[in-house]
Amino acid sequence: MLAQTLCGKVSKIYCIDIQKRFGRLYFLPESTSKTGRSNCINTEIMNHMEKITLSKGFTLKLAGMPDTSVIQLPRPATVGVSARDIAHIRPKLLVKENDSVKTGQPLFCDKRDTSIQYVSPGTGTVKKIVFGKRRRLLEVVVALEGLDDFIQFDPVSASHLNQVPKQDLIHRLKQGGLWQTLRQLPARDTADSETAPPLIIVCLNGNDIFSPHPALVLQDNIRQFEFGLSVLKQFSNRVIVAARTNSLKLLAPVKHLITHEVPDIYPAWEPGAILYHIKKQAKQNAAWYINVQGLVRMAQFLETGRYPVDTMVTVTKGNDKKPHMITRQGSPIRLLAGSFPLSSLITTGQFNGRKVDPDSHLGFFENTLNIIPDAPADEMFGFIRPGMDKPTMSKAFLSTLLDRKVQMDCTMHGEERACINCSYCENICPVDLMPSFIMKALVSDDIEEALELGLMDCCRCGLCSFTCPSKIELTYILSQGMDLHHKDKQG
Amino acid sequence: MNPLKKIFALLEYDFSDAGKFAKLAPLFDATKTFFFLPSPKNKQGPFIRDHLDLKRYMSFVIISLLPVLFFGIYNTGYQSGLARGETLGFWSAFLSGAWVVLPIIIVSYAVGFFWEILFAAIRRHPISEGFLVTGLLFPLTLPPTIPLWQVAMGISFGVVIGKEIFGGTGRNILNPALTARAFVFFSYPVTMSGNIWVAGANAVDGITGATALGITAEGGSSLTSVLSEQGFTLSNLFFGFVPGSIGETSALCCLIGAVFLMITRIGNYRIILGGLAGLAITAILFYFLPGTKGTWAAAGPLYHLCAGGFLFGISFMATDPVSAPGTNPGRWIFGFLIGFLTVILRVANPAFAEGVMLAILFMNVFAPLLDHLVMKHRISKRIPNV
Repeated sequence: MLAQTLCGKVSKIYCIDIQKRFGRLYFLPESTSKTGRSNCINTEIMNHMEKITLSKGFTLKLAGMPDTSVIQLPRPATVGVSARDIAHIRPKLLVKENDSVKTGQPLFCDKRDTSIQYVSPGTGTVKKIVFGKRRRLLEVVVALEGLDDFIQFDPVSASHLNQVPKQDLIHRLKQGGLWQTLRQLPARDTADSETAPPLIIVCLNGNDIFSPHPALVLQDNIRQFEFGLSVLKQFSNRVIVAARTNSLKLLAPVKHLITHEVPDIYPAWEPGAILYHIKKQAKQNAAWYINVQGLVRMAQFLETGRYPVDTMVTVTKGNDKKPHMITRQGSPIRLLAGSFPLSSLITTGQFNGRKVDPDSHLGFFENTLNIIPDAPADEMFGFIRPGMDKPTMSKAFLSTLLDRKVQMDCTMHGEERACINCSYCENICPVDLMPSFIMKALVSDDIEEALELGLMDCCRCGLCSFTCPSKIELTYILSQGMDLHHKDKQG
Repeated sequence: MNPLKKIFALLEYDFSDAGKFAKLAPLFDATKTFFFLPSPKNKQGPFIRDHLDLKRYMSFVIISLLPVLFFGIYNTGYQSGLARGETLGFWSAFLSGAWVVLPIIIVSYAVGFFWEILFAAIRRHPISEGFLVTGLLFPLTLPPTIPLWQVAMGISFGVVIGKEIFGGTGRNILNPALTARAFVFFSYPVTMSGNIWVAGANAVDGITGATALGITAEGGSSLTSVLSEQGFTLSNLFFGFVPGSIGETSALCCLIGAVFLMITRIGNYRIILGGLAGLAITAILFYFLPGTKGTWAAAGPLYHLCAGGFLFGISFMATDPVSAPGTNPGRWIFGFLIGFLTVILRVANPAFAEGVMLAILFMNVFAPLLDHLVMKHRISKRIPNV
């Protein structure tokens, strides 16, 4: 239904243009050509979608899938720009409390490269600058006042894109506060504009299992999406667009632009996991990636010259099927989450997000909130109950015989113990790591061995910690190792 | 509030750092968490966690041992009845068996826990669940006639030298239960071999109590016929109505435990299947060797499988994840070589009637090497990312 109406919007000429630009992407190995062809019968352009096969990952069915309806939330009283979800940043403040700011005005920048700026998603006054321990910047809160007063940049249209020099394009995106939506693997730092990436991965699905559905994000933005892809082509001649199998049905209008189909096993759609399964040479490790929302906003900014303030978020809570919500970037958590039990945990990704304070604001890169309930207090003889209601990836509870949607709680279900070498982490790792061995190398300060074992391939999906029966914080230890190594390399 | 929880809440202070029993905090913690499974909120991502924890993991090994344990208790009573020339009913056999076996298990747990608590108190770490398994595995490998002081010596050696000096559960290189058994085996050979396998047998004259593996056929008769004459028919060996160590006699009960461990994925099927393959292939090779008639070389795979403690060892000892390799190809090789070495020791080494204990301990030592080789291979397959 959505498909037909939207497909019409795409002009023939533009499609051919895309085909010319992306022609080389549709290379397909012999082995997968059959499945690839059968997927693209109803698309206008001959398209070969490559299928990534991946068997390891999270296969339980979680409750809380959001509804595919979309609502617009009321304008919040305050918006915040959080520094907590920005990997590796060393923030430098550019405003003081009570300063008045325009929409698109820089609030802070990254000390390591001051041209990378984080801008205000609204017009008003800086109400509060929140610091954490050791005066680490947590967030800048702006009280919204009156109508948006945008900082205006020169727009760039799709047809004139070729005439804009690459350096100019980078400069504009940096000034507009959107360059940082491009991230660079393996450390997931802001993309280094000095280098040419071997490939760019466009992730249609977000970090969480229930991140906004790409079809809803693209609903009114197909033109912008295509424009965004042609912008990415300026940086690298290999652009990969990957989508989950179960979002493909609604994605028919853009199906011809999707190059890779990934299975519906978390975290197959994570950029790190995608890269691991498609890379052929070591130099491809430095691939860039971008989330579909970031790409669309980047295109909106170039097209209008104004900072795009709206973003789409999902909220998952128990068995509720909440609608997708369009709201201003950096909306207050309380506005998005609605009512929730005080003891529950709010996160921006059940596996790989961060824990958020209900009084703070959603971060720049975040578009999912999970309200995870607390568990009832210590259960008597909990370790030996049959466990019909205890979801597990192991086979040690009766729940494993039931095929139903499960509700997880935010507790550990046990205590930390020494590693017993059980290989549960290895059996679930989507990028074929042996997390327990890497953990042992890292805690004994042997970074060389950890790197040899593939530490930097880790996609931080959190599944090793999820499954560990000894409750070792494997993901945390591996992430720390990766971050430290990245810091060392930067010097 | 649960009355038990109230008691723990009342005692909490005495066992805290400021309390008078601060040293015994690990004991309090272990008891409390046995009754009430702790589940603290996640501090780091991921914010949802699997329900499987080490308490569940280890208690599943205990569950898998229950058939072996109950049959072992019954058989001990049954065999001692036979030795006295009476055939006991089920309950009387079970009770007289329990009278012999339970003290051994109680001593093993009590002495072992003493060392666990001592080390936990000094090192200030919680008591690991691993000992629940060690404390039950060890008695099941012993003959029912063993003096209790030797049980105490054995488990002390197993826990202290086999595990704690390496840093406790998860850091040991040898299986603690087997280390304990090896200690008893080499230190007190008189009580571990010879006519000692039937509890109460010494009271009666003229009973031979050798295990099946101690038998060889003389004068050209085949081994299997001699075994059958002594009561070690294949079906008796399979069901376990023969004298032997408490837990090892019944191949059937060991198989039930092994299948349970494999289905629940608590025991790694690669080790068990690899071990069975190794045993079968080696036994078949020896079977076709000429000039071995009357020795265990000619026994064939089925006798090798059902006699002695191989199935017990491969199902419950070799699958101990800590002392086994941590890589899957390593586990296949580890299991296979245990089966191989078991037959080699049984056939080619006249000093030891039973080979599985030494085979597993030997392969435990080689497990890190297997892991190392597998890891080197896997590293060479990866596209480097540094």
